[in-house]
Amino acid sequence: MNVVETQNLTKHYSRGKVRALEDLTLQVEKGKIFSLLGPNGAGKTTLIKLLLGIVFPTRGTGSLMGKSISDHSSHAKIGYLAENHRFPEFLTANQVLYYYGKMSGVEKSDLNAKIPALLKMVNLEGWGDTKIRKYSKGMMQRMGIAQALTNDPELLFLDEPTDGIDPVGRREIRDLLKALRDQGKTIFLNSHLLSEVERISDEVAILKNGKLLQKGTVEDFISVQQQFQLKVGDGGDKVQVICQEMNIPLTPQNGHFVISVEDDAQLNHLIDKLREGNATIQGIIPRKISLEDFFIDVIEENGEGAK
Amino acid sequence: MKKLLAVIDLTIRESLAKKTFIAFFGISTMVCLLILFAMNLDIVNGADAYVSLFGQEIDEMVHVEDLIYNIQSVLAAALFTAGLFMALFATSSLVPSFLQKGTIDLMISKPLSRWQILTGRYLGAVTIVAFNIFYLIIFSWLILSLKTGVWNFGYLLSGVMITVTFAIMFSLMTLLSVLIQSGPFALMLTYLIVPISPLLLARDNIYALLSSKFYGYLLDGIYHFLPKLTELGDITRIIVQGGAVNSWFPLVTSLMFGVIMLTASNIVFSRKNF
Repeated sequence: MNVVETQNLTKHYSRGKVRALEDLTLQVEKGKIFSLLGPNGAGKTTLIKLLLGIVFPTRGTGSLMGKSISDHSSHAKIGYLAENHRFPEFLTANQVLYYYGKMSGVEKSDLNAKIPALLKMVNLEGWGDTKIRKYSKGMMQRMGIAQALTNDPELLFLDEPTDGIDPVGRREIRDLLKALRDQGKTIFLNSHLLSEVERISDEVAILKNGKLLQKGTVEDFISVQQQFQLKVGDGGDKVQVICQEMNIPLTPQNGHFVISVEDDAQLNHLIDKLREGNATIQGIIPRKISLEDFFIDVIEENGEGAK
Repeated sequence: MKKLLAVIDLTIRESLAKKTFIAFFGISTMVCLLILFAMNLDIVNGADAYVSLFGQEIDEMVHVEDLIYNIQSVLAAALFTAGLFMALFATSSLVPSFLQKGTIDLMISKPLSRWQILTGRYLGAVTIVAFNIFYLIIFSWLILSLKTGVWNFGYLLSGVMITVTFAIMFSLMTLLSVLIQSGPFALMLTYLIVPISPLLLARDNIYALLSSKFYGYLLDGIYHFLPKLTELGDITRIIVQGGAVNSWFPLVTSLMFGVIMLTASNIVFSRKNF
């Protein structure tokens, strides 16, 4: 089941002079962590704002959990952490969670039980009675995440959730998001931190200049087709000879070889040959690149075409 | 409904966090204490009294009912002028502050219609101002009535008139805030109604100076459309003094203006991109 769906969703500003989003058709499955990547001004935040009714589409349609994006009733099951969010500074953390929880339709009795647990979850235990004007940027970010969870949402939109948070905090947030995903919640993430996205995302889409360039699983993006890392123990010298005989390109790299085969049959044939030659195969691992490398490649490839 | 109440509650809390309302509250308390402790009435025969302020006796004997009505008229006039001025000033940032990026996004992401968000904000502001107005009116009324036995319910009703006048003016400020997103600018434009209102009331004197009948019709149109502050002030004074109000037309048309402004605010707000 798709919890987020868009059909030709488009947003233009200034009478079409600024094209923030162009004919975006997208689906996000339930129970996944979906990440949206893109350079600044790609349209990532615009997409979230369109989905939440904060801005209105120029054309196209969208739905959240089966309801049109123009129907705010679906927001009862949605949590949102806005980029550069602001809470009233005269409130304490407890009061922020109380008021935003009430606005989400959560009962007072539920909130009284839930607020301490939420603060504990985001490591703000003991800060509940402190006015948030005294909070650091990282604490505000944690507060924003706690706020997004007050109504126990099924779908969570997080715009740069780890912005301003230290590495330990980022890891905790990563673990929290994975735990939420394991509970069946869907997480829609906007982030610049590609290493974070790579670690937790099930699916990724890349936007540039308001256009969707790529969409797929992280695994699809970082795996290099038909390239493998081959590690052998004894008989390493035989590898070069066999590969030469089979016309398989081979590059030594950090104690292993990187090989490029035509297909799985050729790979299996190579393995047979190596074993016949008494080479000790220690491992054959599909070669991967980092998501950052992939992202930069895609953005550069579409340098002009996407404009 | 509970979600709307949460918006109202949050607006009241935000208002209380501003020092202006605390000052308003403090001034009201001082006025009540002044009436309670500094003003002494030596009632002679049930209807007349000698009055002393801070121990200084006023020579002439005064009629108690006239005195109370006059004190209440002064208090109501002060609330209608300085009180409204302060109330508008104190609430001028309430709408623009929640329209700021990062705040409005979170509000809209909640299961609230835009109509509920803006109306909640509006009602929150009106509620806190009404609380401040009635705090002074009810306590000063109780003190004066208990001291003299003159129970002027018209004075209590003047609180309703002042609150309604604020609600009408604040509806204009809400529309301007949504349109221009600047509290000070919206406040200045709203204050323009204050000098315009008596001018429009005296438009008969202006007609003679006009070269075309068209300008006369235009002035009439503006007069009927805009809130009639001067007449609302007069109605408030008449109510306090127990007189009969000749025409409620200024109140009705001013209320219509408030409804139109609030409706327009909601229409603009519900179509705005943030």
